Amino acid sequence: MSSPFESYDDLDDADERLQAADPAERRVAIIALGHSGDPAAVAHLAGMVSDPDAGVRQQVAMALGEFDGPESAIALVQLLVDPERIVASAAADSLAELKDAACADAILPLVRHSHAFVRMGALRSLKELRRKDTLKPALEALQDSDAAVRVQAIGVIGFLKLEESIPALTASINDSDAHVRRAAVSALAFSQMKSAAESITRALKDDDWMVREMAAETLGLNANGSVAADQLIEALADGFWQVRLKSIRSLGKMKLDRAVRPIGGCITHEQANLRKEAAAALGEIADPSGEPYLALVAGDTDPEVRKNARWALQQIAARKARAGA
Amino acid sequence: MPLATYQTSVPVVVDDAKCIADKGCTVCVDVCPLDVLRISDMTGKAYMAYDECWYCMPCEADCPTGAVTVNIPYLLR
Repeated sequence: MSSPFESYDDLDDADERLQAADPAERRVAIIALGHSGDPAAVAHLAGMVSDPDAGVRQQVAMALGEFDGPESAIALVQLLVDPERIVASAAADSLAELKDAACADAILPLVRHSHAFVRMGALRSLKELRRKDTLKPALEALQDSDAAVRVQAIGVIGFLKLEESIPALTASINDSDAHVRRAAVSALAFSQMKSAAESITRALKDDDWMVREMAAETLGLNANGSVAADQLIEALADGFWQVRLKSIRSLGKMKLDRAVRPIGGCITHEQANLRKEAAAALGEIADPSGEPYLALVAGDTDPEVRKNARWALQQIAARKARAGA
Repeated sequence: MPLATYQTSVPVVVDDAKCIADKGCTVCVDVCPLDVLRISDMTGKAYMAYDECWYCMPCEADCPTGAVTVNIPYLLR
């Protein structure tokens, strides 16, 4: 089978061009290797991780992002600890692209590195590898002094979706940093445990609106989210429309008839996004008591609101027809 | 007689001091969906040959040395 890269002859004279005196020429050779798509290019790129020019090392980190596998991970790990931030950042971005679970062996030791950026980059890259042996170091990293590291640790735990990690995630909902609390709320979405839904519900009262917004959204995704129906209805009066919007969406997903009136109260809000969601949620619930509210936006200035209102009225008509049949 | 014989302002500006097209780099030319960038025969650097930019930005984002700047008109920002 032909390859779109077969016309490239980058590897034939790669070593010669990688040794050029001009860093710009070495950089161009590295770009070509990255574009070649040939797995044999990884060895050539790995040989360049100690180049004296930071721009070249940055290019190596970016080029290695085109290749998956442990060989690429080993080279990227060396670049992640580079003293130049541009190199380390490029390595962190490329490490996050890895999908081969075997890469975790090279990355795991960096979870305890002395620099917070390295720990964060390592945890971020472990997330999508979903290896069970990453749970323990990720749980330990929840005690890290750097909030960005704790956020990435929650990412690793969330991707693993293991019920045994629920107590740790629940504890993180009380973290001092809002980004950590927000990540913890999001990671609890998968849990089937009632205690998880209860913890997310408490986050609806968080001081930070972004945590409350995430809690409102996550309750719509959680299997036991309906335990928070009353609190979500209360959240429709939140000071931030973003929280109200996610609460409306989650209540719509729960198809609660008693939510029609509070959702209907939001349908004339000045934010078109909110009116659109309110109309859609009334359609999801499809209770005939939603019709008067939908009539209010039948001539709305925003076409998306009118479209959702029409769809919602169709849903209500269909429900009536089913009930009459 | 024209008032100006060359264009003085184009959306895509290349910093010649940073551009490494003369070393063989063609990233910006390759990624441009409208094919409006060229490598100058005179200087060996990239430049905007046709002013038909869509402001899609890969030339700026992918440039390995940060030499490309796309000036997005105020009303499109």
